[in-house]
Amino acid sequence: MNGIARTVEAVSGEPPEGTGAQKAALGSPSSFNGDKVFRWLVTAAGVGVLLLLGAIILVMVSGGMKAFETFGPAFFASAVWNPVTQNFGALAPVFGTVMTSLIGLVVAVPLAFGAAFWLTQMAPARVSFIVGMAVQLLAAVPSIIFGMWGFFVIVPLMARYVQPLLRSWFGHVPIIHALVQGAPFGTGLMTGGLILAVMVMPFVTAVMCDVFASIPAVLKESGFGLGATRWEVMRNVILPWSRSAVIGSVVLGMGRAMGETMAVTFVIGNANKIGWSLFAPGNTIASLIALEFPESPSGSLKLSALMALGAILMALSFMALAVSRVLLGMSTRREGR
Amino acid sequence: MIGLTNGQMANGEAVAAKPAISVKSLDFYYGDNKALRNITMDFPRRKVTGMIGPSGCGKSTLLRVLNRMYDLYPGQRATGEVLFDGRNIISQAVDVNRLRARIGMVFQKPTPFPMSIYDNIAFGVKLHEKLSRSEMDGRVEDVLRRVALWPEVKDRLKASATALSGGQQQRLCIARTIATRPEIVLLDEPTSALDPVSTARIEELLDELKKEFTIAIVTHNMQQAARCADQVAFFYLGELVEMDSTDRMFTAPKETRTQDYITGRFG
Repeated sequence: MNGIARTVEAVSGEPPEGTGAQKAALGSPSSFNGDKVFRWLVTAAGVGVLLLLGAIILVMVSGGMKAFETFGPAFFASAVWNPVTQNFGALAPVFGTVMTSLIGLVVAVPLAFGAAFWLTQMAPARVSFIVGMAVQLLAAVPSIIFGMWGFFVIVPLMARYVQPLLRSWFGHVPIIHALVQGAPFGTGLMTGGLILAVMVMPFVTAVMCDVFASIPAVLKESGFGLGATRWEVMRNVILPWSRSAVIGSVVLGMGRAMGETMAVTFVIGNANKIGWSLFAPGNTIASLIALEFPESPSGSLKLSALMALGAILMALSFMALAVSRVLLGMSTRREGR
Repeated sequence: MIGLTNGQMANGEAVAAKPAISVKSLDFYYGDNKALRNITMDFPRRKVTGMIGPSGCGKSTLLRVLNRMYDLYPGQRATGEVLFDGRNIISQAVDVNRLRARIGMVFQKPTPFPMSIYDNIAFGVKLHEKLSRSEMDGRVEDVLRRVALWPEVKDRLKASATALSGGQQQRLCIARTIATRPEIVLLDEPTSALDPVSTARIEELLDELKKEFTIAIVTHNMQQAARCADQVAFFYLGELVEMDSTDRMFTAPKETRTQDYITGRFG
């Protein structure tokens, strides 16, 4: 507080007495240096962020250390989650996390690409503005809303129509039947993935829109000038130009999908299993932590296992973020050239 | 050799009787803003038509009408007639993509696509023709030779086109444009982003190209218009003030506005 007051004083204060004309014109170092104080303040704020991140990582890793030590590398390879026998493994929630995220992306990315293509290349400006706003609003919907909506709308649809239909079509087809088998609960990996798709799509769309809109108009016109159609320009000019940014946006979406908790917890079914069926109940790291955390006494091996899962989730998210940063950065550099 | 050239000239003169493009009573609007007023002019076949005038006078707009580039932007529309190959191309009933392949365009800044030198040229060709690998190789070499880029790039056709210098990129863009074998090449200030040496090379190239193509070039550079063009059109505030052979435009313009502009009194 004192530091800020000093800074203001130093900025608005008169130049000290007794300076020559030349010295006044250049400004002179004042006796208490407001710049220096301010610099320390903002440096502290910046370093504080770093410390905070470090502290969170430290808590996760040290909290999970007991589980890592007890189970060793087998923690990553075991799908068991049994509080009674005190036996815990990370494989099932990691599998669920990766699967739901992948399903989400497989559904969301083509939709997002189509929406971004239409919004930036084809839609009339007014319509594009309105739909663009709708996409932004969709991104702003709290995840708990998606959870409830998924539970009351998507889950019954999946249980009553989607899975029974798919089973009657593919139930006797070798290999594929494994993907649709199981009782039609309506909850499961597929439902979780679909909810994630709805949640991730606005983000991916927004990034893709920015990328497609940032392409120089003359480059597009050069494509059109050769007689290319809108799709040919998209395919051969815009996509190659923005390839790494598009991939970056997809990975960014993946990062978001992996960390999503509430919506998925509502619809995933919460069973610690690994199977072929896309419609079987499962869980994700985030949903398992959310459900089990209240029932884990401090100091217990179970709490440690949950912390260890948290550390794994953070590592997965960081990897996704790092990859997307690198890819987005590559695109920005090319743009600057 | 001289006889052949003469023969071509004679042939060219005979065809030149019918202009490559005829513009009649053309109006153009950006929304409510009228950017071209009642333009009527011909683009003679296998000649270079230079278009000059101060910024915002409508000369670039006219180029964008000729290949219907304005179609991409809602709110831009043209009325009147632009006759090309016996049809009014600003009426809706033409295949715009085919049209743009026959009326090619080169832009102010070089716009190489983010792909290899070879693919930059092959891209446009592939859109309209099915060529075998060797035919495509031949086409690429041919157009690169014609823009005098072949010796510089023949060993790195697979390298990225964005790594070329600005002048090389612009020659590549011209090569790319003529590779689809258009009848007309539109150039929108093609040298304004280039150094004097690259500019001179492009201007030499225009002299070669006009043996085969009808060329319309927009330029801010009066000397360039004088050097390259066979006829020059002067635009001012959306109107075609005057059009005449290059010699007469620069020695004895009829309009005082033309006189003032080319002597640098305004613009």
